[in-house]
Amino acid sequence: MSYFGLLKENLKEHKDNYVQVLRLSIADLKKTYHGAALGWFWAIVKPVVSIFVYWFAIEIGLRKGGDVEGVPFVLWLIAGMVPWFYMNELIVGGTECIRKYSYLVTKMKYPVMTIPTHTNISKFLVNAILVAVVIVIFWICGYPPTIYLLQLPIYMLMMFLFFNAWGLFAGMISAIGKDFSNLVKSFVTAVFWLSGVLWDVDKLVETNLFFKIFFMINPVTYFSYGFRNCFVYHKWFFEEPEKLCCFLGLYVVLAFLSLWAYKKLRKEIPDVL
Amino acid sequence: MKDEVVISFDKVSKVYKLYSSNKARLLGIFIKKVPYKKKKAVNDVSFSIKRGESVALFGKNGAGKSTILKMITGVTFPTSGDIKVEGRVSALLELTSGFDQEFSGRENIYLKGHILGLKDSEIKALESTIIEFSELEDYIDQPVRTYSSGMKSRLGFAINVNIKPEILIVDEALSVGDAAFKNKCKEKVNEIIKNDNVTLLFVTHQTAVAEEFCKRGIVMKDGKLVFDGEVADASKKYDELYKKKKK
Ligand SMILES: Nc1ncnc2c1ncn2[C@@H]1O[C@H](COP(=O)(O)OP(=O)(O)O)[C@@H](O)[C@H]1O
Ligand SMILES: [Mg+2]
Repeated sequence: MSYFGLLKENLKEHKDNYVQVLRLSIADLKKTYHGAALGWFWAIVKPVVSIFVYWFAIEIGLRKGGDVEGVPFVLWLIAGMVPWFYMNELIVGGTECIRKYSYLVTKMKYPVMTIPTHTNISKFLVNAILVAVVIVIFWICGYPPTIYLLQLPIYMLMMFLFFNAWGLFAGMISAIGKDFSNLVKSFVTAVFWLSGVLWDVDKLVETNLFFKIFFMINPVTYFSYGFRNCFVYHKWFFEEPEKLCCFLGLYVVLAFLSLWAYKKLRKEIPDVL
Repeated sequence: MKDEVVISFDKVSKVYKLYSSNKARLLGIFIKKVPYKKKKAVNDVSFSIKRGESVALFGKNGAGKSTILKMITGVTFPTSGDIKVEGRVSALLELTSGFDQEFSGRENIYLKGHILGLKDSEIKALESTIIEFSELEDYIDQPVRTYSSGMKSRLGFAINVNIKPEILIVDEALSVGDAAFKNKCKEKVNEIIKNDNVTLLFVTHQTAVAEEFCKRGIVMKDGKLVFDGEVADASKKYDELYKKKKK
């Protein structure tokens, strides 16, 4: 089947099964939180704890930080870190989604291309709540919403689509070989530290071309700074066309890879899982 | 309507790829040269089944019965040949039959119903019948991971026979559970194949059970279809093959 045909099939599977997909994402949410006594509380506690730890280490421990664009460092950190929580969940969760829902593959006829989507939606909803919390925090700290927040949904949608493609690609590969999961897991921390979630890459970018390219094609940097554009830098996404183009190019490549993986492995995974 | 073919296999073969390890399999995605062995689990099989027929599949372990049922269900794909299936397939493949381990039995009833595209109201209407049939009582609200394999297959059976299947596929699930539950299952299966014009395909090693509700039997041996006809002849053939193996 051609890539165009596969894309059409992908969209059709989503269109025909959107009710099931939504149900499964709600089920996924329930499953993530209902085992714990405090349930939903953890969705908030975990990010708060990690932001506090990083803020403490950098601002108090290392005595770095200081205001960025007139905004306290901790707020700058929060703005860039919130999308990271989502990306972190999806880099790993996307890789494991098909393995986790193997019963949908091996025990019944189910549209496999929608499995990454329902995993993704459930994480996305949690992240949307966090984003709302961040807006409130900024407000309380004296930074009421600006018109630039209007582009948040655009960044979130791009992030959703990007990691959906990742989930299909990585999920298919990892269904065949678990080693791929381990590989991804061991790289997540590296990605976190190298993407400017914690420290300002702008100064580094000015120093040489390699860094400039590296951060330009890094989707984690793109989204982390995209969120900061909304909250801190007050810039529109189309004011940085080269970054946008790099991201879109990368997305097209990943989308191709995900369809390639699907095409190649769809018939094999039920026999392996 | 009655003579309509609902399942047809045309020269279907299925080859499993056997790699030396998971790592080799992963590498095999990117590098064609990674060696693997081939196992022909189903070898050039053709047959067709009409609406309302009930067919028993015989064959010793590894003969390819489960692979055939999985291909009919649409969870696994043939390497070559054509398969046509018409109608809603409800399958009990192996015992656990696709439950989410973290959810309770009741939640799994809904989940499964939703996945099959049933509405909440439709599932609600079936819920009590399913729970009653499964005999799980208080366990229905416990996570499925706490169930014994017998309980899981009871729940699986209860769901699959009660969601009004058009094609019902049962892979050895009738051979677990206690005698009383087995009888209840048999009655239920008998009832739906009689009343609802349901097509039934099932695997069992007990030829007596097969003869109870099947007219037709298919015997598999090493991936090949070696007999297709009257169930009594099929079970004779199966016994012959089996005895030969025993010697
Ligand atoms: N997922 C799989 N990967 C590799 N080989 C398999 C797989 N499933 C079944 N086989 C092999 O295919 C053959 C037929 O298996 P199966 O259809 O399960 O037989 P049966 O149900 O008649 O016992 C067996 O030799 C089995 O080892
Ligand atoms: Mg079997």
